[in-house]
Amino acid sequence: MNTWNENELVNYYTPKDALVRMKDYDCVSRMLEERLKEYAENVAVIDDGKEYTFAELDKKTGALRKKLIDSGIKKGDRVGVFYPNCADFEIAALAAISCGAVAVLLPYHLDEQTLFGCSMKYKLKAVISSEGVNEKLAFAFEKNPSMINIEADKVEEGYAPYVYSEQEEGCVVIFTAGTTGTSKAALLSHKAVMAGIKNSCLGCPVIFEQRYFLMLPLTHVFGFIRNMLCAVYTDSCLYICRNTKNAFREIPTYNPTVLVLVPALANMALELTKMMGTAILGNSLKLIVCGAATVFPNLVAGYNEIGVSLLAGYGLTESANLVSGNPKTLEKPTSVGLLYPNQEYKVVDGELLIKGDNILTEYLENPEDTAAAFSDGYFKTGDLVKFDEEGYMYIVGRIKDVIVLSTGEKIAPAEVEAEFGTVDFVKDCLIYEENDSLVLEVLPHTPVINSLNDEAKKAACMEELNKVNAKLPDFQKVSKIILRTEDFERTPSMKIKRPAQKV
Amino acid sequence: MSREEIISRLKKVLATVKGVEESTIDCDESTNLLTGLGLNSVGMLYMIIAVENEFGIRFEDTNTSELVTVGKVIDFIQQISAMKQGK
Repeated sequence: MNTWNENELVNYYTPKDALVRMKDYDCVSRMLEERLKEYAENVAVIDDGKEYTFAELDKKTGALRKKLIDSGIKKGDRVGVFYPNCADFEIAALAAISCGAVAVLLPYHLDEQTLFGCSMKYKLKAVISSEGVNEKLAFAFEKNPSMINIEADKVEEGYAPYVYSEQEEGCVVIFTAGTTGTSKAALLSHKAVMAGIKNSCLGCPVIFEQRYFLMLPLTHVFGFIRNMLCAVYTDSCLYICRNTKNAFREIPTYNPTVLVLVPALANMALELTKMMGTAILGNSLKLIVCGAATVFPNLVAGYNEIGVSLLAGYGLTESANLVSGNPKTLEKPTSVGLLYPNQEYKVVDGELLIKGDNILTEYLENPEDTAAAFSDGYFKTGDLVKFDEEGYMYIVGRIKDVIVLSTGEKIAPAEVEAEFGTVDFVKDCLIYEENDSLVLEVLPHTPVINSLNDEAKKAACMEELNKVNAKLPDFQKVSKIILRTEDFERTPSMKIKRPAQKV
Repeated sequence: MSREEIISRLKKVLATVKGVEESTIDCDESTNLLTGLGLNSVGMLYMIIAVENEFGIRFEDTNTSELVTVGKVIDFIQQISAMKQGK
């Protein structure tokens, strides 16, 4: 099975001059120090109408770093970062990391009780926030008085030098949001974050000096590493969209070159182009990086029609970013591509296991889940995969999503869904078990839904789905097909909420 | 614009967002957007953008988490339209 080698990368996409600039760093602090100074005069961030150059980012993080050190924060201490998406989030996270602390990215939607719980469970030494966004922290500071309240908006002038960390030392904690199970706190080392940043650059036709438009939360691995840190590393500008409802007014003004989206948002954006025209995506968009859920072929084709490349990939919070990318999106639209280099992997009982610099150190304060997540040094992704003859990977299901029928047959729903997903009118679909047989629910594209009142058109749709069903192996055949007229219930990360499996 | 006129145009928007025939949108002012119409977070975002487009308004400083029912959406459309006309 193949991973990408340098020749394939160069041949497919990655410009040679970019490969030269993809320098290795032993820790994130050293990367920040060098890149913020190297790109000093260029615009690093645009937020709320204000531009920050790389030099200003360096100055502001230097001042906050001094405040943290003066407040007693030492190497390895855990420091919470609590902000909605804004430039202050970036400054706080970079300051915490570059003073040697572990930045714990607290999702902004957490309520005050949960924030208090996190402060205790994860032993936070301090939390960085500002007036106006920190009301929900009052309870945690009251109940946990030893935790230091770092008010970033009250930081005075000053500058502390960067503190370097060892590769294996903790850098950031990002909360996972699994399709099943509860949220876990993934600790990523400096080595893992640097590997994740470099993985951002693989297989992309555009890498350095880009314009990123941030729509995902900065507490999400794609927001933090694939957008924010990748932008710093690549001399790119990050436009922070504070409110996604304004995104399609702000995009044509800013004209991003790269968007990083989950499939549901990519799909909505494509639908909006039909309603409001392609101008809502600006006039410079070259690339949409899409992951975190199944990307159906019609999304790839739809964007290709309007001249935008949609690159599907596969990755997890625990792998610090995407671990694969598909350089043949149009040719192999259902694949998540080739695994990136510098990773070892194996497939055990269909499950993908990965070992590499990019993999998490542990789930913080959770030895049981950490132990269960690793086997022989490999991280168990929980995803069932298969590979084609060229080494392209396909996600065929989740371990927890495997349906086991009373006949002993095991079905990976995603594999069957991918088959039905090839039908033109299918926007999204779901396979589940009911009365010991398989049920398929299909959400068609809008124009098809509008035609479903016409019995002949509905019958034609059913006929197409039945043709696919007929070609499936017997154990994968569905016994009931439902055409939906409403979207599925989804998780906060826009994935379809799967019905609970029978034990 | 009367509330009846607004709800009539709103049904058209909701049909587009949900990808269904307008005649299948069964709602009144008390209908909950999430549990009654099944709009998820992406659907809500889609609706807001589509409402802005249909009514030529902007939910600039509106706390969109308050948009719980169809009636609330109508309230905001009326308020923003009135402000736009300088009333």
